[in-house]
Amino acid sequence: MASFILRKAEPKDVSDILRLIKELAKFEEMEDQVILTEKDLLEDGFGDHPFYHCIVADVPKQHQSADSHVIIGFAMYYFTYDPWIGKLLYLEDFYVMKEFRGFGIGSEILKKLSQTAVRTRCSSMHFIVAEWNKPSIDFYKRRGASDLSLEEGWRLFKIDKQNLLKLLAILHAVQNGSTAERFV
Amino acid sequence: MDFTIRAATLEDCKDISRMILELAEYEKASDQVKITQRDLEQDGFSKNPFFHGIIAEVPEHHKSREGHTKVGYSLYFYTYSSWKGRAVYMEDLYVMPEFRGKGIGKALMSKVSQLGLAAGCTQLNFTVLDWNKSSLDFYLKQGCWDVTSDLGYHCMRCEGDALEHLAQGDL
Repeated sequence: MASFILRKAEPKDVSDILRLIKELAKFEEMEDQVILTEKDLLEDGFGDHPFYHCIVADVPKQHQSADSHVIIGFAMYYFTYDPWIGKLLYLEDFYVMKEFRGFGIGSEILKKLSQTAVRTRCSSMHFIVAEWNKPSIDFYKRRGASDLSLEEGWRLFKIDKQNLLKLLAILHAVQNGSTAERFV
Repeated sequence: MDFTIRAATLEDCKDISRMILELAEYEKASDQVKITQRDLEQDGFSKNPFFHGIIAEVPEHHKSREGHTKVGYSLYFYTYSSWKGRAVYMEDLYVMPEFRGKGIGKALMSKVSQLGLAAGCTQLNFTVLDWNKSSLDFYLKQGCWDVTSDLGYHCMRCEGDALEHLAQGDL
């Protein structure tokens, strides 16, 4: 199987994007964590200020997947900022369906992303990988990626909505005068 | 102590740049700062900003030893989780040492959370260096959890020559 194209995702692709997000999450044993809907993807990716950008890999109909899909890979990314070095490209998701691996599609996607990063004057491309995912870690290290968690001791932290709301309560308490503080 | 938390403006870039350097020094990496005040002005305050800023300011009579009234900041931007949707990423959080212990850090983080929630975000993410025990403790106390520890996620980077080679399709 030789032919595939990589293109910018369009609104009509959201159903396939969600399907592939769920497949990747399943591989990471986190499928139940995906609460995003097609509607979210549509609003958040194709409005005036998109929260993300997406590239999809499209094969001709005669090469469609076992379950009849022609969108067989994708990458979701957005731009972030490092106050020391400036703009960065952050790769959120990157996935090619199992039956389409080994044809260079993943490499081409990564190449396209890197070209985008260079063209938009990003200093670097960042992403996270689970430490147990050895094939992916090897894939990235072969291409010159460095593991910041190992090499520099960076740990990724998260605070979810419940605790964000608690933090907000602190703000309100302070605003209502428990310390002499003004919020503009 | 009296302090104000507000959105950063173009005029704040001088102080933000100063404090970025102070934070870099604290992280033992000040030689790595390439971004200038001018870069911050362009990247944060144009039509399509790459980041947003919050400033903590004290009144004139509480100014720092060197005469600064802008004593803390946070830089953040919006990201996207393919599982949960909109998220906010807190890139920097810093309070000058002489102004710590007064709730300013917490108030800055609170403001970022408030803005994130208002924008429809369901999580706040950030990274902390593993040797930074006082920060780690502060964040864990706010109800944050360590994704690297708990899920084994490592932050990876591809930059410089490696990025150029990847763009050219070299293996």
